Amino acid sequence: MSIVNAYILVGAILFAIGLVGFLSRRNLILMFLSTEIMFQGVILNLVGFGIRHLDLKGQTFALFLIVIAAVEAGLALGLVVLLFRRQGTLDAEDWQRMKG
Amino acid sequence: MTLSFSEFGLLQVAPLIPLLPLIAAAVIGVFGTRVLKSASHWVAIVGVGGALVCSAVLFHAVRQLSPEQYTAIYRLYSWISPLPGVWFDVNFRIDPLTGVMLLTVCGVALLVTIYSRDYMREHGHPERGYERYFAFIALFVFSMCTLVLAGNFLLLFLGWELVGLCSYLLIGFYYGKPAAAAAAKKAFIVNRIGDFGFSLGVLAIYYWVSPFVQPGQSALDYTVVFANVSNLTQGQCTTIALLLFAGAVGKSAQIPLYVWLPDAMEGPSPVSALIHAATMVTAGVYMVVRCGAIFVASPLAMSVVAAIGAVTALFAATIALAQYDMKRILAYSTISQLGYMFLGVGALAADSAVFHLFTHAFFKALLFLGAGSVMHAMGGIIDVRRFSGLRRILPWTCATFVIGALALAGFPFFSGFFSKDEIIHAAFERHALFGVLAMVTALLTAFYTFRMVFLAFWGEQRVPEGVHAHESGPWMLVPLVLLAVGAIGAGYVGVSLHAGGFAGFIEPHGVFHEFLAPVTAPFHAAVSSSVHSEVAPTAEHAGGHTLMYVSAVISIVGIAFAWWMYARRRGVAARVAENWPEVHSLIHNKYYIDEFNDVTVVQPLWRTGLAAFGADRIAVDGMLALITAVPRGLGGLFRTLQDGMMQSYGVTMTASLLLIVLIVLLVG
Repeated sequence: MSIVNAYILVGAILFAIGLVGFLSRRNLILMFLSTEIMFQGVILNLVGFGIRHLDLKGQTFALFLIVIAAVEAGLALGLVVLLFRRQGTLDAEDWQRMKG
Repeated sequence: MTLSFSEFGLLQVAPLIPLLPLIAAAVIGVFGTRVLKSASHWVAIVGVGGALVCSAVLFHAVRQLSPEQYTAIYRLYSWISPLPGVWFDVNFRIDPLTGVMLLTVCGVALLVTIYSRDYMREHGHPERGYERYFAFIALFVFSMCTLVLAGNFLLLFLGWELVGLCSYLLIGFYYGKPAAAAAAKKAFIVNRIGDFGFSLGVLAIYYWVSPFVQPGQSALDYTVVFANVSNLTQGQCTTIALLLFAGAVGKSAQIPLYVWLPDAMEGPSPVSALIHAATMVTAGVYMVVRCGAIFVASPLAMSVVAAIGAVTALFAATIALAQYDMKRILAYSTISQLGYMFLGVGALAADSAVFHLFTHAFFKALLFLGAGSVMHAMGGIIDVRRFSGLRRILPWTCATFVIGALALAGFPFFSGFFSKDEIIHAAFERHALFGVLAMVTALLTAFYTFRMVFLAFWGEQRVPEGVHAHESGPWMLVPLVLLAVGAIGAGYVGVSLHAGGFAGFIEPHGVFHEFLAPVTAPFHAAVSSSVHSEVAPTAEHAGGHTLMYVSAVISIVGIAFAWWMYARRRGVAARVAENWPEVHSLIHNKYYIDEFNDVTVVQPLWRTGLAAFGADRIAVDGMLALITAVPRGLGGLFRTLQDGMMQSYGVTMTASLLLIVLIVLLVG
């Protein structure tokens, strides 16, 4: 197994871990962390496929994504803090009434 | 004939006549409530007064025209041109009839506007809606002038509908009062029934005249239509004439569509004087005279006009015998007098009918304004049972009212006498039955008019409790006096003075009739060709003054009888009512015509409406509910997926994504 396929495999594993975490956890912070893990998996995939196709666009794009992910993380954490202040808990089930 | 622009001379003032009141209405409408307020009447007076001055100039100009040019068409602009070669102009037809009508309309309108300045105030303060009132009055004058000046049927119809609208707005002026709102609605709906016939008539004219129209002519122009009457069949003429007459029956309150006019008295008294006595209600008579060429082409239509006129005249006069509301008595009297006018037209004496229209405008407006003055003094009470002996409290009102009453009763030497006598004469020439009906009506008219005068102004002095009765101010009295002068003098334009006639110096027919001759020519032509007048076609009125003595006696008898019954022996009337209670209640309740209409027309329509409403609810709404149930049900199905749990959303997303990937892998 070449190094290229290892990148892609690790990325896929990271994504799968994140997905399982997102689906199985009720805690807002943990769910948020799971999505971040999925994010990293996706970025690793971009890098991996970029190398595989001998194209630098994948890695350039990965750099942009890391910046955007940082911004998004700040925003999302802020939202989680707000939700916590309002309800006094981090349980996602308490926001079930927001359904349409 | 059509003149070129430079040939018009003074006729160029014509567009100003409707325009000035329209500007006045617009100015009051825009600035009335903020700027003008209690000075709004000035704008209306200037607008209507300007129209009167222009009418006088126009009248003068018409007199200057040579007899063969008596009809001038003033083309303002092209109004509607839906297809190439088909168009309708805004054009004015200026001829003697227009001149007379404009002077009558603007003259009475100006006096009524002046009168309203005080009438529409309470203790010197303007009533609520003061500006609105004057804006509507000015708008009405605009509409009426458009109706009278119109040179084609489309513009006539526009004016016809506009006066109806103004009538509706002014009857419902006190819209907070349920009776006034109902009366306005009734007037509008009843008029609509007649107007439906009228619009069908206009369409019929367009349909049947179009094939004969030369290039460059518009199919609804009066000149084109009247020139092509000979191309129409007898049946077509009868259809058109009867449809147009349906409109006249509605507008001029004849049987069976007269029911709106008595209720229209809910509006302010000056409105009754202007619209429901002097001007708008005579539009029907004007229209029939104007369309004389069509009407005389159909003997059947002329008989219908005469018969409806004669029957209405008598019928309304009998109702007026047992009413107690002064304005309602006058309303039935107006219906009756309009019946006279139609009888005159139907008896081929169109000039006499217009003459009666002209004199009637003065004395009936005077009577309505007089009743308004009484109402103003009595604090809004107009029931003659609630007051009496007012002649000392209201000397001016009483004097002018009596003059108007004498003219209405056809007392010798007052204007109504001359015009009414001519119509009775013409009615006798047409058919003895019409003549007798007209004679009986004349007797009843004299009686009920003076019944009202004696009840209100004679007897012991009595006013409703808590009312401080006082004579009206100069703003109201000056129009009364001017109209009283008209009520005496207006008749003398229609008679000629020479020795040997009635009372030694009066002969019927005068400059008025000569002036109108170009307009009423179709009627004269019909008279000279009919068998009835073979005896003496030219000297048709030679024996007129014998009949004049008879009418004079009838009028005096009627007045004397009213005096005996209501002034000399007040108890007689009550005893008559007691001895024949059925007759009294039948007449007092207006033959239960309103109730009859309610049962036969209004209720069935009401029930049909309810049924249609129910059908709409069940069938149409039900179908809609059925159709909307489908997306609603589908939505309900998918809504369960949205349970608010982020995890389940995540599962759905993942599963869907996997599904897509699977499909791509399998297919691709």
